[in-house]
Amino acid sequence: MREPSDRDLVRRARRGDREAAAVLFRRYWRDAWRAAYAITGRRSLADDVAADGFERAFTALGRFDDRRPFGPWLHRIVANRALDLLRAERRISDEELPDTPDLAPAHATGDRSLLASVAGLSLERRVVVVLRYGVGMTPKQIAEALDLPVGTVNSRLARALEQLRESLEVEHVE
Amino acid sequence: MSSDVERRLEALFAGAPEPDPGAGEEALHRALHALRPVAAPRRGLRAAVLAFAAVVVLLVIAAGSLAAAGALHVSLGPKKPPATTQLSLPRGANGIAAIVNGRLSVVTHGGFRLQGLPASAAALSPHALYVAAGIGDSLVAMTPDGRRAWSHAANGKVMAISWAPDGLRIAYIVRQAHHFPYSLHVIWGNGTHDTLIDTRVLPTTPSWRADSLAFAYVGAGGKAVVYDLSHVSRRVIDIHGGDAIRLAFAPTGDALAINTLRRTVLIGKHRRLVWRDSTHGIGWLDGRLTIAAKLEGLPRGVVGFETNGRTIAVAVVEKRTIRVLAGSPGHLRTVYQANAKARCYNSKFLMRICAAPIGSLQLG
Repeated sequence: MREPSDRDLVRRARRGDREAAAVLFRRYWRDAWRAAYAITGRRSLADDVAADGFERAFTALGRFDDRRPFGPWLHRIVANRALDLLRAERRISDEELPDTPDLAPAHATGDRSLLASVAGLSLERRVVVVLRYGVGMTPKQIAEALDLPVGTVNSRLARALEQLRESLEVEHVE
Repeated sequence: MSSDVERRLEALFAGAPEPDPGAGEEALHRALHALRPVAAPRRGLRAAVLAFAAVVVLLVIAAGSLAAAGALHVSLGPKKPPATTQLSLPRGANGIAAIVNGRLSVVTHGGFRLQGLPASAAALSPHALYVAAGIGDSLVAMTPDGRRAWSHAANGKVMAISWAPDGLRIAYIVRQAHHFPYSLHVIWGNGTHDTLIDTRVLPTTPSWRADSLAFAYVGAGGKAVVYDLSHVSRRVIDIHGGDAIRLAFAPTGDALAINTLRRTVLIGKHRRLVWRDSTHGIGWLDGRLTIAAKLEGLPRGVVGFETNGRTIAVAVVEKRTIRVLAGSPGHLRTVYQANAKARCYNSKFLMRICAAPIGSLQLG
C-alpha cells in the first residue's frame, strides 16, 4: 500500500487525526533530532530542541501552507530553536570571581578533529553546514528555512568550508 | 564537485548518534498534546452565523428604539466575571499555595482546596501538611482544609514567610510602623517562641538551608546574611554587585545562590558568577540552579525557566512580568510571583500549573 504523502498527513493532523500526526512525527523525528544534535552538540539539548520543534510545529500546523514541503519548515523551526537556546546559553557564565580560588570546570573532552572544527564555527555558519550536509537541504531550501537570501547562505557555506579546511590543515601540520 | 571537506562532513553527519527511543516517545506525547485541530469552514455554518448576527442587530435596534421611547430600561454596568483560580497540582508536588488577587488559594495532593481568604503572604510546610499565611496583622497556620492550627499576633502585615525544611520553624518578615519598615522573626512551627532576629531587613523571602539550622535573608543594606541558629551568629556576604534581591539555598545546603539586578552568584566552597544578566528569579529544581529569564527568541511577555542552559518551563505573562522565582531546599519547589494573569506550563510534564492572576505561588 502506498505511503500517505506529507501533505495528506498534515491535512489529517490539522483536523485532529492523532494517528496521522504520529506518522508525520515518526517520519521526521530522527532527522530533526540529528539536526538538533549537530547544531547543539549535546544529546540532552538535542532532545529538548527536537521535541520543542515538533511541539511548535504541531501547534502552528493550522497556519502552515501545505502547498510547501513539511520537512524544511520543520527544520527551520528546529534550527531556530537550537540557535535561540545556544544564544541564550552564552549568558551562562562559569566565571570565577576574583577574590576566590578557581574550581576548574569539567569540560567535555575534545572530540574528533572535524567535529571539533564544526563546533568551532560560529552559530550562523554551523547551522547552514548542518542543514546542508547533515539534513541534505539545498541552499535554496536553507535560505527559505532561515529566511535569508540564497546568496547569504552560499557565502556562509563557502566561508564555513574554508574555515574548516584551514583548521583541519593546521591540525594536520601540527 | 564535492570537496574532501564536504565528503568528510557528509560522512560525519551520517555517523551522528541516534536519538534515544525514550526521548522520541516523550517528544511524541508532547507534540500530540500540542496539536490544535482546525475545523474546516462550512458554508452552512457561515450562513447561519450571518443570519444570527443580523437578528441580533435588529433586536439591538429595536431595543434602542424602545429605550429611547422610555418603554424599556437598559442598564450597563461593570459586570466583569470574578477572577477564577484554576490551580492544578503538578506531578511530584505535594501542594500549591498561591496569593491570587490578595486572596489565599491552596491545593494539596490530599485533595484539599482552600480558596478566598484575604492574605498577604503564604507558605506551605514540608509535605504541604500546613499552610502559614499572613492574615490581617497575624501569622496564621492552618491545615489545608481551613482549620486554624494557631494564630500569632505579628503586629503588622506579614510580607514574606518561609517554612524550614524540617517544619520546626518559620522565618517571616513583618512590616511595622515604628522601626525600619521591615523586621525579621523566627517562630516555632507550633506558633510559640517568637524571636526577633533583625529589625532592619528587606522584604525578600528568606531561604532555609537544608539542615534547617540556618537561613539566608537580605539585610537593610542589600547584602545577603546567613543566620546560624545553632551558633546564633550572622555572616554577611558581600558579592560586590549591587543589592541582593533573591536568595536560594541549594538542596544540598552547601551553596547559596544570590541574585542581584544584573547577575547571579553562587556562594559555596568557591564563589562563582553563574549568570551575567537580569533574571526574573532563581531557584533549585532537581538539584540544579534554575534561572528564570527572558530568553532570546521567545515572544515579548514569555519567560523561560532554564537549568544549565535547558529550558525547563515557560510562563506566558500578560501585561506584566513574573517577579520572583525561588526555591527551597529539599523539595521540588518553585515560588514565583506576578501581578497579572499568568499561564504557566511545566514543559517536562506538559502540565498546566495555573491559569489565574497570580500574586505568589509555591509548589511544595
